[in-house]
Amino acid sequence: MLRLLSFTVFLATWWGAALLAGGEKLPPPPVVLAAIIAEANSGALFFNLGVTLARVALAFTLAMTLGAAIGYVMGRIRLADRLGDPWLILLLNLPALVVIVLAYIWAGLTEVAAIAAVAINKLPIAVVMVREGTRVLDTALDEMTAVFAIPRWRAFRHVILPQLAPYIAAAARSGLSLVWKIVLVAELLGRPNGVGFEIGVAFQLFDIPRLLAYALTFAAVVLAIETVLVQPFETRLSRWRPRAG
Amino acid sequence: MQVEVDIARKAFTNAAGERHDVLADFNFALGAGEVAVFVGPSGCGKTTMLKIVAGLDHDYQGRVACPASARVGMVFQEPRLLPWRSVDDNVRLAAPKASDEKLSALFAVLELTAHRNHFPGELSLGLARRVALARAFAIEPDFLILDEPLASLDDALAARLRDQIATLVDSRSVTTLLVTHDMDDAIRLGDRVFLLSPRPARILAELPIRTPRNARGEAEIAAIKAEIARRTNGDCAKGDVL
Repeated sequence: MLRLLSFTVFLATWWGAALLAGGEKLPPPPVVLAAIIAEANSGALFFNLGVTLARVALAFTLAMTLGAAIGYVMGRIRLADRLGDPWLILLLNLPALVVIVLAYIWAGLTEVAAIAAVAINKLPIAVVMVREGTRVLDTALDEMTAVFAIPRWRAFRHVILPQLAPYIAAAARSGLSLVWKIVLVAELLGRPNGVGFEIGVAFQLFDIPRLLAYALTFAAVVLAIETVLVQPFETRLSRWRPRAG
Repeated sequence: MQVEVDIARKAFTNAAGERHDVLADFNFALGAGEVAVFVGPSGCGKTTMLKIVAGLDHDYQGRVACPASARVGMVFQEPRLLPWRSVDDNVRLAAPKASDEKLSALFAVLELTAHRNHFPGELSLGLARRVALARAFAIEPDFLILDEPLASLDDALAARLRDQIATLVDSRSVTTLLVTHDMDDAIRLGDRVFLLSPRPARILAELPIRTPRNARGEAEIAAIKAEIARRTNGDCAKGDVL
């Protein structure tokens, strides 16, 4: 109910702003809706959304898996932390654009280059978050698993992983939004399809309704993923916590 | 199962870089099925000693002999349960092979049956302690280590839990090492009571109690207590047997 209300407020603000700024610069909602329907009818909307989503999913999975593994090792082993830390700082501060351009130059305008470049942008954040989580693992519980001789894999699954879950969830959440933003840049610069490519075309033609049509449908998809997948998952993970307030 | 402990020296380095001895010339042996209770002032190094015996701390001079195949069950000073697992799952994680009937019986003895599906965050400290006990007993240990399992509980509850521990220890003969600062618990539960000095902890005296646990009357307990008080006030050499 509250969500619906906030959506209505958003639409009203948009419409009001469109009236003030003029339809040239900011087209009102019906014009954008018409553009969405036109793109959907031609099939281009679903194809481009699908392509972009696939890139987001691949880059996200790659970055999260590698990032969590590296973060865990760096959190557990001091030597790995000291060796890896300068690299981490370098990667954290490397602009996304530099990584994407270099990847395209070195590996060509290929799918692999695009996905790898996006994953490299996301990787250091996942590493940092999981490393922090690993550093504050409860040693008291480690002692418990040692005394009771709980096998390593079981201990990892039932004792370590649940402690890391909030950190992984936070990394996933910030990661999803970051990855889809960077995927659009990578598409704009070197892919022949996807939401980013379409937005690039719309920019060159000054086709603002089409630009907004793609941006908003993609934002809607991300919102849906968040509501349908991410939030229920988080609720399930934290069901043991006594409810606050 | 027998356990031999011979700790020549255990020292800690504090933040200022000074070394402090925590344990010195600390040796004892436990026979199979024996319940040994260590009593000493708080902060004397009892928990440090337990950690060494449990194999959690290897940074000491000396030797602990305990069969490698021995199943060790431990109750820590804090319950150390997994907050994200139910009471039932907490116990099963440590004891995956325990049968349903055995677990049910164990939960019944510890009066936990109604709480099996609760999460540790929903339990009082007393209940959480009992879950920790259930976990230690569920693995059917050869060697049981209890670190102040009754601390900070009210008297009535502590007495009930103490009886429950006694029942469990007697139900299957298990070599037990219990640490406490409460003389009453020591005398009611132990086959042998060791009195410890303040830091660095040494064994001041060793006192066997031959009457079976369930036959110990109030008068006898009072007499043993008086004897211990007399001993601890006077000078008694290490290893002195009453």
